[in-house]
Amino acid sequence: MTGMPPTALIAASVLLPLLYPLLAARSGWNTALRAALPLLPLPALLLALLSSAPWTLELPWLLLGSTWMLDELRRSFLLLTALLWSAAGLYAVGYLGVKQLRRFCVFWGLTLAGNVGLVLAGDIASFYMFFAIMTFAGYGLVVHDGSDRARFAGRVYLVMALLGEVAMLAGFLLAARASDSLLLVDLAAGIAASDRGGLITALFIAGFGVKAGLPLLHFWLPLAHPVAPTPASAVLSGAMIKAGLLGWLLTLPIGESGWAAWGQFLMVMGFVGSLGAALLGVVQRDPKTVLAWSSISQMGLMTVLTGAALAAPAQAAALLSVIALFALHHGLAKGCLFLAVGLVLPASRALRVLLWLLIALPGLSLLGLPFTSGELAKGALKDALLVGPDLPLAAQLPLLLQAATLATLALLARYGWMLWLKLEPGRAAPSVWSGWGLAVLCSAVLFWWLPGVGLPGG
Amino acid sequence: MVHRGTEKALQAGRNYIIYTLGGGVVLLLGIAWMHGLAGDLSFRETGHFHGVDPALHGQLTLIFVLLIAGLAVKAGMFPVHGWLPQAMVAPAPVSALLHAVAVVKAGAFGIVRVVYDVYGIDFAYMLGLLEPLAWLAAFTILFGSVRALSQMDLKRRLAYSTISQVSYIILGVTLFGPLGTVGGLVHLLHQGIMKITLFFCAGNYAETLGVHRVDELDGAGARMPATSVAFTVAALGMIGVPPLAGFVTKWTMGAGALAAGMEWVVLVLLVSSLLNAAYFLPIVYRLWFRPLAGPWPAERHWGRLETNAWLFWPPLITTLMLVLVGLLAATALSPLSWAQLIAVRMYLP
Repeated sequence: MTGMPPTALIAASVLLPLLYPLLAARSGWNTALRAALPLLPLPALLLALLSSAPWTLELPWLLLGSTWMLDELRRSFLLLTALLWSAAGLYAVGYLGVKQLRRFCVFWGLTLAGNVGLVLAGDIASFYMFFAIMTFAGYGLVVHDGSDRARFAGRVYLVMALLGEVAMLAGFLLAARASDSLLLVDLAAGIAASDRGGLITALFIAGFGVKAGLPLLHFWLPLAHPVAPTPASAVLSGAMIKAGLLGWLLTLPIGESGWAAWGQFLMVMGFVGSLGAALLGVVQRDPKTVLAWSSISQMGLMTVLTGAALAAPAQAAALLSVIALFALHHGLAKGCLFLAVGLVLPASRALRVLLWLLIALPGLSLLGLPFTSGELAKGALKDALLVGPDLPLAAQLPLLLQAATLATLALLARYGWMLWLKLEPGRAAPSVWSGWGLAVLCSAVLFWWLPGVGLPGG
Repeated sequence: MVHRGTEKALQAGRNYIIYTLGGGVVLLLGIAWMHGLAGDLSFRETGHFHGVDPALHGQLTLIFVLLIAGLAVKAGMFPVHGWLPQAMVAPAPVSALLHAVAVVKAGAFGIVRVVYDVYGIDFAYMLGLLEPLAWLAAFTILFGSVRALSQMDLKRRLAYSTISQVSYIILGVTLFGPLGTVGGLVHLLHQGIMKITLFFCAGNYAETLGVHRVDELDGAGARMPATSVAFTVAALGMIGVPPLAGFVTKWTMGAGALAAGMEWVVLVLLVSSLLNAAYFLPIVYRLWFRPLAGPWPAERHWGRLETNAWLFWPPLITTLMLVLVGLLAATALSPLSWAQLIAVRMYLP
């Protein structure tokens, strides 16, 4: 049953961050510009929490004729996006200096608008538009500090992103032709029936794989994610990286039979990413770079799940729920870990102990600590892959998953060590503390709260 | 074009005259030959040669080549594009019109007319004339983009971009099928809006800051934010980023190419998009992300606005248009809808 779309809230979710850059037109409005940062994702947050999904909104006048929608999968991604951008926005209020504040805020708003919009998009043109807005505006966040390292990272990011966009466009053109539709929901059947299905699938895997950090397409990521200002790193590695994953889930022929080989390919690539990133990440010295490798490693697990969904159409629906849960869990936890890099040590010893405990909590969640979202996500992952159907690699799966847990542990230990060396006593702005605290709170309560809101996997 | 009266301008003018007269003569020859063959002709939607004697097909093919060759000079197609980059010595508003509306579009429009209204798309397709024209257009698209990469003069870079972009129209026209036609026709308008914006901006930089070269634009975004926003949006539109005008064109032409079974055209479109990005994004980068290198070559001030009000508003208005024609492409009054209406009539029996 389809509910009524809350039109005003939907419009506000996209238009508020999209029009926010207009505040930057005048130099006198810097205070407002700064104060508005945490408020921008609020309409999207309300939309994720309150609207009675599923709904569909027809916008026949927009682009080539658009459809926006919210279903359970999208709701989970929207929730992650809105929560993480809110916390990072709050953090940014105190974190940002005055240098190039206006430019940063322009790109922040546009990137957020793209990230929210692509989750809501139900048709090719809208999705591609928001994805492109996010990608191009994201460049501004990556190169923000203007150092040689940032400019190099930005160039690699942009070249890879453009190649990804081009692969995506080719995939969309072919898929639209094959399915004779501009709606994302029709693509899977069209691709499955097309004699060019393999080519289209390859284009989508590669196109979105750039954003998702698929091995061999990943090398921009450890350069670009750490070099951005810390709040931007958090949304890049927590929320925007998931846009690539969502792209796969919406475009690949998941639920159609006959794609076992492609599914197996994705699963292998996922494990390569999950384990390989750990090998390369444990020798890094910058805690943010370690985290970027950890993101590639964790995205590897989500790639494995995506591959499994592609290989086992009968289980696809259940696997999609697991992926959504895992993405939400990882996004929030990774956001916390990134934001922690910008903190300072308090003077009192007791407070320091508390701080380190709270910094460690989301890390332990990624390892599957009981009573954290990680327990649910990792449990669901194991259930789906080990207890489930006859998947490719079934014999090796238990061993590979154990190795992946080891990889996670190694990277988090390295992160903790490097952070221990980096954090120094000092003072941080109240909004930095509250932004990080909000992220930790969201990550921590996720476990208790998941069943209540009827999210997948609950 | 020779308005400035400098040696360079006069040279460019001479060149233009030679090219355009040469093109005119070839065109006239084609028309005269066709007249001798078929008598007095007016444009007709389905073309004139439907049931014509197959013995005349050879002659008609040659005439087609002559007509297209004559018009290709104006449209700036390879290998008769040489006058166009030189013509950038003209004052900015002239360049803007030259590249967006007047001269090159007359050439493109002429080719559209020849294909659709003189020969008729079916007949041209049957004679096998469309495929070679498509290859030539595709080559021009890539050639123009590659040459644009190495131009450091802003207007020269834009001129090579025009050579590339106008051939999109020709390429669209040669894709046999309504979607290709729609793509070509809609680009006739979209390319105009985008290119006129870019030339307006180039003019603003020249008149306000004395900047003519790409490498002098460092930090211009802070000095002239409105003009630079316009330039950025138009450049992204040229690359084909949605929701801007260029995306609608590229999507429609790509879909048209697939419908016509000409997959290689999609590849050309994608490579061209990457090349567009390669010569436009470095400019955008300089505008916003490079610090100001030194004083502007010849800066002028006009009170509150960043430049003279008569220079300030035009690019902003055309920028708004190029956003709206893309964003509202599905509405009845958009260029896309008009092109669809025309294309439907074109392919009716």
